[in-house]
Amino acid sequence: MSIRYWLHLYFVLIRSSIRSGMQYKMNFLLGTFLAAGIQIAEFLMIAIVLNKFGAVKGWSLYEVGYLFAVMTLSKTLYRSFANDVHHLENYLTSGDLDQLLTRPVPVLLALMSQNFRMMPGELLQGGFILTWALHGMMQAGQITWIAVPFTFLVILTGAAILFAIGLTTATAGFWLTRINELQTLTEDASQTAVRYPLVLYPVWLRSILLVVIPVGFVNYVPSLFILRGELGAWVLLGIILVAAICLFASMKFWTFGMSRYQSTGS
Amino acid sequence: MGIMTEEAVRTELERLADKEEPRPMIEARGLHKQFKTPVVKEGSFAGIRTLFTREYRVKEAVKDISFTINQGDFIGYIGPNGAGKSTTIKMLTGILHPSSGEVRIGGVDPHRHRRRVVSRLGVVFGQRSQLWWDLPVKDSYEILAHMYKVGDKERDLRLGQLSELLGLGEFWTTPVRKLSLGQRMRADIAASMLHDPDVLFMDEPTIGLDVTAKRSIREFLKTLNTEFGKTILLTTHDMDDIEQLCERVMVINHGQLSYDGTIEELREKIGLPTTIRVTFADAWSIPLPAGENLRLPLEVRLPSGEAFRVVETGPDFVRVEANRQQIRAVDILREMAAWGEAADIHTEEPAFEDVIHKVY
Repeated sequence: MSIRYWLHLYFVLIRSSIRSGMQYKMNFLLGTFLAAGIQIAEFLMIAIVLNKFGAVKGWSLYEVGYLFAVMTLSKTLYRSFANDVHHLENYLTSGDLDQLLTRPVPVLLALMSQNFRMMPGELLQGGFILTWALHGMMQAGQITWIAVPFTFLVILTGAAILFAIGLTTATAGFWLTRINELQTLTEDASQTAVRYPLVLYPVWLRSILLVVIPVGFVNYVPSLFILRGELGAWVLLGIILVAAICLFASMKFWTFGMSRYQSTGS
Repeated sequence: MGIMTEEAVRTELERLADKEEPRPMIEARGLHKQFKTPVVKEGSFAGIRTLFTREYRVKEAVKDISFTINQGDFIGYIGPNGAGKSTTIKMLTGILHPSSGEVRIGGVDPHRHRRRVVSRLGVVFGQRSQLWWDLPVKDSYEILAHMYKVGDKERDLRLGQLSELLGLGEFWTTPVRKLSLGQRMRADIAASMLHDPDVLFMDEPTIGLDVTAKRSIREFLKTLNTEFGKTILLTTHDMDDIEQLCERVMVINHGQLSYDGTIEELREKIGLPTTIRVTFADAWSIPLPAGENLRLPLEVRLPSGEAFRVVETGPDFVRVEANRQQIRAVDILREMAAWGEAADIHTEEPAFEDVIHKVY
């Protein structure tokens, strides 16, 4: 089975998913505007705080904006293309996973293509803050144009890492069934935490955010090199490696979890 | 070995063609399924203690089930709620991994090669739709055609056939969520047939349908089996479905197969009585030994030694019960004719529903 076939099928499924969503236009428009509004408000809060105190532990407003935007864009990428991985719990409690299993398609692919969510609100907000931050730092001579392609790469690897974390958390659902609280911890809370530079946190928390839930590799670690020239160019290769390892491990765990699937009563 | 003449070869070939061995399509060998659920603790911190508990309650949903279903068979799989029907079906279709035992669909293990097996299966769950809820019916078929790699030409041809047989035309462009239950079921069955599967699993396809809708579904399933040679495994709570469609029934109860055979054999095995009610034109009397009154139920023994029972009497009728495997109805009627002048005779076979009730 070729990659091209699966990609094609994925896009056929995504397309029907979008068409399904468009049946409820009002819901879509409202959701988009609200998401954009909430996102902007969140960043404004950070901006106000930073403006007051100047910089956090040597990180400027531009740099924090950059961290924030990369996280938002990586998350948007992950959540648009693999939305229902995050919602596996619903499939487990309702037994809808059974249906996906009766199709000659990898379950993960079927799951990822369900309820595709376009997130223009998040995309606009993330794109705007990123442009603003990059522009500001270029004006100041802190970075050069080379930062732009690096940033795109980092957004991609970040999405892969977030996906791996999401998939691993979801897989725990095969044993726990209810994974809401776990997701709050491994996805929401940790993603919010790394919108700020990790130097802000005590060492133990920093280690957790780098080793246990490796969200630190989404934006913080690469920005050390891209924005501040610390560490070295090998960091970028390292990030790709981390993303690959995370993906591989989470897929293995997923396959193992699938074999433990108990379904529900009818 | 001698040399065969051309004629001998031909007759040999014909013999082989006639005696085509039935090909096993669905095989289950020693299937077990246990569900482990952690014992829920009570008291303070119940949730956390449950999470870390090592105590499990083991529920044996399916215990040692084995059977073979041949190509072209139409099998009814019945049992009360919670008997393990759905669990078995889920193991056969590769949704659940059995705790022990083996499944083969057309010789292939659905747990090791799930995608390969399910591409040859059609599965219908009556309780929930397989279609895309918010999209027009025709869109679902398009997506499914992509999934099962059905070419455009083949897809259109098959949809044409299915549409004719199931009357899909009337709701072709309606979103699935707006279909009536009967329409939805037809659409679902068509969806399961789009890739021309060898085996069909039908889990309660007539649930909640009215008489007309049930009939059209039954007719279609019959056609699929007899004309297209599909192997069908049907679970249902509607005994009319079973009686009208299936040659063979398997009954599961408490996770075990309690019966596997034809409907006739099942009737015989259970031996529910046939009822005969004779209405007499005028007074009737049953010859009794001197000094005895008529006490029901009364056993009447024929000279040949066979017996039947009188269970109910009225001013102008007598109702008797007998097991048809032990005594012929003609013999009973001959005996009863001596009791008075018969005006009307009504015989009732045991309802299949009652037979099943007895097996459960």
